[in-house]
Amino acid sequence: MESTRKKKNNLIFLTLFLVLTVLCWCPVGYGSYGEVAMIFGMPSWAFFMLVFGAVLFVLEWIYLFWTDLALYDDDLETIMTELEALDEKELIKEEV
Amino acid sequence: MVAVTIITGICLVSVFISYIAFRKGFTKNADDYFVAGSSLGYFVLIFSLLASFLSAFSMFGMSSFGYRLGYGSLYVLTANLVPLGFLWYFMHKKTFLLGRARKWMSMGAPFGERYGTAMRIILVLVVLVASIPYLVAQIQGIGVMLEAMSEGIISFHVGLFFVPFFIALYLMMGGMKGAAWVNAIQGVFFSVMVFVLFFFVMMKNGGFIPTMEMVIAKHPKLFQIGWAGGKVWSYPMIFGMAAAMCLGCVCFPQPYMHAYSSRSVRGFKAMVLAFGGICLVVITMPTLIGIAGTIIVPGLKGVQADKIYGLVASATMPDWLAAFAVAGGFTAAMSTVNGLVFGNATNISVDIIKIIRPETKQSDLINIARIFVGIIMAVCVVIAWNPNTPVAELSVIAFGTVAVTFFALWGAYYWERATKTGAILSTLVGVGLNVTFFLVGGKKMVLFPQESLFNLNGFLASFIASGVVFFVGCYLTQPGRIEEKSLKLFFHQSLTK
Repeated sequence: MESTRKKKNNLIFLTLFLVLTVLCWCPVGYGSYGEVAMIFGMPSWAFFMLVFGAVLFVLEWIYLFWTDLALYDDDLETIMTELEALDEKELIKEEV
Repeated sequence: MVAVTIITGICLVSVFISYIAFRKGFTKNADDYFVAGSSLGYFVLIFSLLASFLSAFSMFGMSSFGYRLGYGSLYVLTANLVPLGFLWYFMHKKTFLLGRARKWMSMGAPFGERYGTAMRIILVLVVLVASIPYLVAQIQGIGVMLEAMSEGIISFHVGLFFVPFFIALYLMMGGMKGAAWVNAIQGVFFSVMVFVLFFFVMMKNGGFIPTMEMVIAKHPKLFQIGWAGGKVWSYPMIFGMAAAMCLGCVCFPQPYMHAYSSRSVRGFKAMVLAFGGICLVVITMPTLIGIAGTIIVPGLKGVQADKIYGLVASATMPDWLAAFAVAGGFTAAMSTVNGLVFGNATNISVDIIKIIRPETKQSDLINIARIFVGIIMAVCVVIAWNPNTPVAELSVIAFGTVAVTFFALWGAYYWERATKTGAILSTLVGVGLNVTFFLVGGKKMVLFPQESLFNLNGFLASFIASGVVFFVGCYLTQPGRIEEKSLKLFFHQSLTK
């Protein structure tokens, strides 16, 4: 149950990340060739690109620091212990 | 002379900081020298990574880009880098975890353990080849600005030796820790100075909006996409450059070296997140400064436009403050040369020399890395001697070339079916195509969309071909003993979170 919820949330974040990445990489859907409207002294597409960048930054911040989907320092010791144990087992096997 | 004095002062302070790292014994063994003993806190990590990427390109190159090509330049190095927050996290989470568990010190290590020695060595050579144009861009930028700021007292060619000499000195002494300290201080310095310069440039004509209204009246095309008959800032051109820069950042040595050096998960996450956010603000400034520069210092063309950053500083600020502003750009260039030369020297020492001569002692590895710092720097100075490509274009070519290693990295961490053959072929095909396009059609073929390439630029065509070759190559070949054995480590259940 818990793992399904995490998978679903991960998928939602990943989809949002990808959509916003496309918007940050290309003015598709919000830019057009030729003359443009101005917002705060810059072309409207440049303004929207900066806004999309800011929104993506906030979403990444939430994902990395405010959800249980990312890695935390509390997990680190356990992971290192397991990886180092694996390493030792492998070494023993090779010696035999 | 004020500028030269300030720049010399910054160089000497950088050497002194590195000397402190050396004296405190942070370079005694290979782990300390190459990855700072995995001891860097998040503040140093954030600004060190930032400074190791933000460069002559970010300051001089982006203002030159803005000056020549307008607002479309924002897609080259600002919001397009924000996705690095999640891309770096997903692509380098295992670099951080496995690097700590396996005591990795170079970027070839994960490739070596996953695909074998051949891929490890190929990767090091590819990254070195891709780094050269980027390093040349920094050294060229330093030479150009030093000549402009000293009003010809220091010629371009003398400038090529001036700063690289100091960089080589402090890299050889301080190792990763010294480099990270210097980077962090330089990163804070140039971030502050770019804000100060932005303020002065915009205030010269009554603020940001009045300045831009004056620019649009004279140069309306700078505010448009798809100008010059749809050739400049077309959708494919924008996408190609934005993707090249972002994906190139994933594949250069700096994120590997900083992931190995991070003390904590929190530091690692803060580092990958902050980079894009800071770029969004800090690199937007020089781009806008360049655009405003078209009405303050009009008429510069090609490589000459690389001087716009210093020239608008001189035109809008008191001499001493202009010198500090330009020195900010210098520190950005210095820290990138520093990070990239160090990363490559580490790769050569640990991934090639240690493989060829396994009996090499740790102390010898450090000395070999020091020698390669000097050699790489000297080669770049020689190549920069006759500049004919602007800093910005050189940098995009470099990022595009290194980005073709993306699939091999992704496959190593996230695809159990990835094979050595697929990884090697995809890397060689990607780099080979980039080099071929450059030789056949010059920088235009790599950077600008080509009808012969289905309206893609050379980088995107190479990148896509590299991806296709990777997947086809992996499906047509079977994982060997090394790949099979590596699965236990790279796909261990503890790494799934």
